[in-house]
Amino acid sequence: MPILVKTSSSGPGEWAIIELQGDLEVRSNQDMHDQFIGDLYYNKYGQPILIIGHHILQGREQKLEKPFAVLEKSKTNEGQRLLDASQATLDASCLNATSGGGERTVLDQTIAQEHKSRQRTEYTVRAICSKKLIFKSRPKPIIANVAKSV
Amino acid sequence: MEVEVDENNAPELYVRTPEDVRIIVKHAKLDERQLTQVTQALVYPSANIVADNLRLLELDSHMLEQIREGQTLHFKGGLHEKVVLCTDEKTYDVKGAEISNSLLLVPDLKFAAATSTSPLKSPRSGNANASLERSLNDSTEDELEVPRTLEQRQVLTVFHEYYECREIRPRYRKLGELLQLTRYSGPENEYCIEKKLLFNFQQLLDTVQCSRLQFMDGLRQYRALEFDGHLRVLEYEYEYRIVNLMLGLISENSWALDEVDRSETIQALDGIAPESIVSGLFDIYTVSSDRCPDKYSYQESLVARIVAQNILQPGLRFRNEEFMRTWQEALPEGMSCQLEYLSGIGIYDKEGAQPCIRSLAEEQLPTNINDRMRTLFKTKRKWTLEEMEPYIDCFTTPTLSVSMLLAKYARSLTEGGIRYYVSKH
Repeated sequence: MPILVKTSSSGPGEWAIIELQGDLEVRSNQDMHDQFIGDLYYNKYGQPILIIGHHILQGREQKLEKPFAVLEKSKTNEGQRLLDASQATLDASCLNATSGGGERTVLDQTIAQEHKSRQRTEYTVRAICSKKLIFKSRPKPIIANVAKSV
Repeated sequence: MEVEVDENNAPELYVRTPEDVRIIVKHAKLDERQLTQVTQALVYPSANIVADNLRLLELDSHMLEQIREGQTLHFKGGLHEKVVLCTDEKTYDVKGAEISNSLLLVPDLKFAAATSTSPLKSPRSGNANASLERSLNDSTEDELEVPRTLEQRQVLTVFHEYYECREIRPRYRKLGELLQLTRYSGPENEYCIEKKLLFNFQQLLDTVQCSRLQFMDGLRQYRALEFDGHLRVLEYEYEYRIVNLMLGLISENSWALDEVDRSETIQALDGIAPESIVSGLFDIYTVSSDRCPDKYSYQESLVARIVAQNILQPGLRFRNEEFMRTWQEALPEGMSCQLEYLSGIGIYDKEGAQPCIRSLAEEQLPTNINDRMRTLFKTKRKWTLEEMEPYIDCFTTPTLSVSMLLAKYARSLTEGGIRYYVSKH
């Protein structure tokens, strides 16, 4: 059975993506729920400025040439995820059977289809991301304690 | 004094305050007057928010449009097939792409324009006109009155991966293979048919990796028709026999080629073949007549093909003139045979002492492009692009044309001003 990708009844929302070079790393294994990451500002020219800890990043607002859809997988059943499985089964050569062996593979496929149909997986388009803030430049350090007299 | 943000290692939950923001702006040596009024504090999601079931899917303009219209998309693929994504019209290959950058997904994030009460400045006009710059600066002084607002935004999740889609051609081969298993050759032979291998429209649409519209096209290509609730293709000889009987009615009733009557045709074949087979074939082989309302005409290319297929049985070869004569004679008066109708069934080989037509059925060739190329060049040494096209076409994608495939898998040479393709080795 095909796995449906539905659009939510109210239409997809518009979400944003903030792209950072590298990763946000947490020093210890502490629980990060609700923890503060950083402040996002815009200057009067619309340039985004992100301050994370001691670092300041200057970025750019960019329209995504190819927007993203945020898909949410419905948890109706515990089963393998089709998207994840797609990478494991790159082996599409199964159908490359010549007429002799063809029948067997087709049969297997049909049975495989039936197995799959028991699993009710569904995706919903939660939102579309058509713009992002991209921070490509190296973070610059913020030095706080410069003596006024210098 | 250290920078404030370090203090958030405190055990209780740290909440960003406007005062913190003011201090950090000062430390960062940002001019607060040059910033828009809203600061957005980014935070990690709460414990109760589940985001590991989210995926990012890159869209092209067609997919975006479909989603905006509220259309449903379908992932399709059997256990051993690479998954494809289908809209109602198109089919896409889906591939996971890993990136080293982090993509932070932030619902409700405000972009620059939404954080400013006045329109954003464009960087160029600022430099171009000093007096304008001044006046704008003046106005920002006034805006100091507007207090800075602090809003909290949750980063729902961080992605290092997204799925990208590439439009591909519909994958019909499975449709052909499944239909092949239960070729219909008359009611008397139905006892040989494995009932489990009969499929209806929806079953096939669900498993074949193509969109709904492409599926309809595919059914036409394979000349599939509905019989007893299942989609079937006919055994060639049987199909030829029925079509031939149908064509016979043209001269029998002295119809012009474009005034074929549907109900009379179906009636005339009553008792010879089941009605749904005849009506199905009729609808596949005819188009509405331009000249006479409610009448039909047979499509020459389809008629010529099934006739040629009947003559050109697998493994056979004919002298060119002989074949063309036999073929022409088997066609109803007024239709003419053309070599191009043989596309995918047979080839014209003029290399030998006697130019000949030989059978070469596309559907019998290997499905792997390397093996197929080998077979093709074994069958015939040199090919023109047009000759190869029907046999290579199934490997093309919107971005990979036949000539690009040939550039990769064959060697080209020019003889007498004509470009030929020969085996690489």
